[in-house]
Amino acid sequence: MNHNSVPRWARTGAMAAALLGVLLQPASAMHIAEGQLPPTWCILWGLVSVPFVVVGFFSIKKRVDLAPRAKILLAMCGAFAFVLSALKIPSITGSCSHPTGVGLGAVLFGPTATAVLGLIVLIFQALLLGHGGLTTLGANVFSMAVAGPLVSWAVYQLLKKAKVSPTVGVFCAAALGDLFTYVVTSVQMGVVHGGIAKFLTVFALTQIPLSIAEGLLTVVVFNVLVKYSENELHELAVL
Amino acid sequence: MGTDRYAYCSPLRRMDPLGKGFVSLLASVVCLCCGMAAVGLFTMLLMGGLTILWGGQKLRTFGHFMKIPLAFLAIGSLTMVVQAYPPESALLVGIPVGDMLWGVDRAGLWEGASMFCRALGVVASMYFLALTTPVVDLTQGLRRLHVPALMVELMELIYRFIFTLTDGADRIRVAQKSRLGYGSARRSIDDVGVLASMVFLRAWRQGDRVYAALESRGYTGALTTLARDYESGKPCFWAAAGVCAAQLGIFALERWLL
Repeated sequence: MNHNSVPRWARTGAMAAALLGVLLQPASAMHIAEGQLPPTWCILWGLVSVPFVVVGFFSIKKRVDLAPRAKILLAMCGAFAFVLSALKIPSITGSCSHPTGVGLGAVLFGPTATAVLGLIVLIFQALLLGHGGLTTLGANVFSMAVAGPLVSWAVYQLLKKAKVSPTVGVFCAAALGDLFTYVVTSVQMGVVHGGIAKFLTVFALTQIPLSIAEGLLTVVVFNVLVKYSENELHELAVL
Repeated sequence: MGTDRYAYCSPLRRMDPLGKGFVSLLASVVCLCCGMAAVGLFTMLLMGGLTILWGGQKLRTFGHFMKIPLAFLAIGSLTMVVQAYPPESALLVGIPVGDMLWGVDRAGLWEGASMFCRALGVVASMYFLALTTPVVDLTQGLRRLHVPALMVELMELIYRFIFTLTDGADRIRVAQKSRLGYGSARRSIDDVGVLASMVFLRAWRQGDRVYAALESRGYTGALTTLARDYESGKPCFWAAAGVCAAQLGIFALERWLL
């Protein structure tokens, strides 16, 4: 193949167009779709997620046994996570994305409850909206309901202990949790199909603007909540 | 919302959800395990045919939902197909970047196409369940499968609250837009933030009110509902056997031809 026949400007243009196309990924791109993982990996990611969901389930059960009101409030929080993921936020690249709610969920409800609520929300997203899938549920639960929220929660707690302002803490927690979700998705795809670095470039690196947008959104939400519902935040042990 | 409003109109709605789940699951598992392009495409056609002819959905509805996961499938397949090769490799398409040649060779393209077709088959299998079974019937099915009651109740409550909150969020968005909201990127982030926080506040306070209403009606911690009487799921098991046999037949044929 004679590559010299293709002018340099055409090659540069093609690369730029390809990169732009990748940057304009729609929101459902964060979920691994049905059929993208072989059966063994589907089972493996499912098994990896099970302990987190079980721990989350028992933590919720304990809360509900102590105060039955918690069940209704947690259900409301789960529904809120679903509605949040349907909102549109503008990205720096000019495209629109949907918030993952990873950071906000982890900061508000803690990583254990988020694992269970995330599982339920992901089932509904797969069945009702066609985002993600039932065979890849284990992998998606691990990236979006376990790994991302854990990072968000750890970052938030760490910065809270370091006496950093809550606004900065919430921004870092949401942005890093979001980014880490994409990193895990890239690793999940890369391990199976080869080329983790390639998947990281496409799925994680290009999502930095979206993560920043989600971080900013989470800060706005958090500030409004602090202003109008401090009692609820104290009840959730956020502040 | 989404597939649910079509599922409520399906003639299969009254059929045992576990039977429909079995058809979907078996078709997905066989399609995934075979991992071949022809089996994937055939599964998509077969399950699409079942959803349209048996499940009473329009071709347009099925096509609309099939388009949704295409974005991730296309990006995933492309990322998998495009690889770095040493210079002077025999590629179908390629451009030099640095010392390497980035492009697509025949084996990579075939592998990517196989994954894409397999994914389409599994997606179509899942839609058979989603477009014929409303979520409330699925949760009843989960109860019969002995999924913990707390989990099923949480699912039922979340499902119910999704509609209430979505309705509230839609109304807030209309109010914001009518007051010149969402004008710029910065303004949009602010407006979405206010919208999300207001939805959260309403959710929290509404949760309190729902709990008070439940308690005043004798709530003791369990939301017991009566299960609906379903039509027998026997036809589903026959359908599952037929689909599975056809998939395995195509698998054998593809292996024999290639």
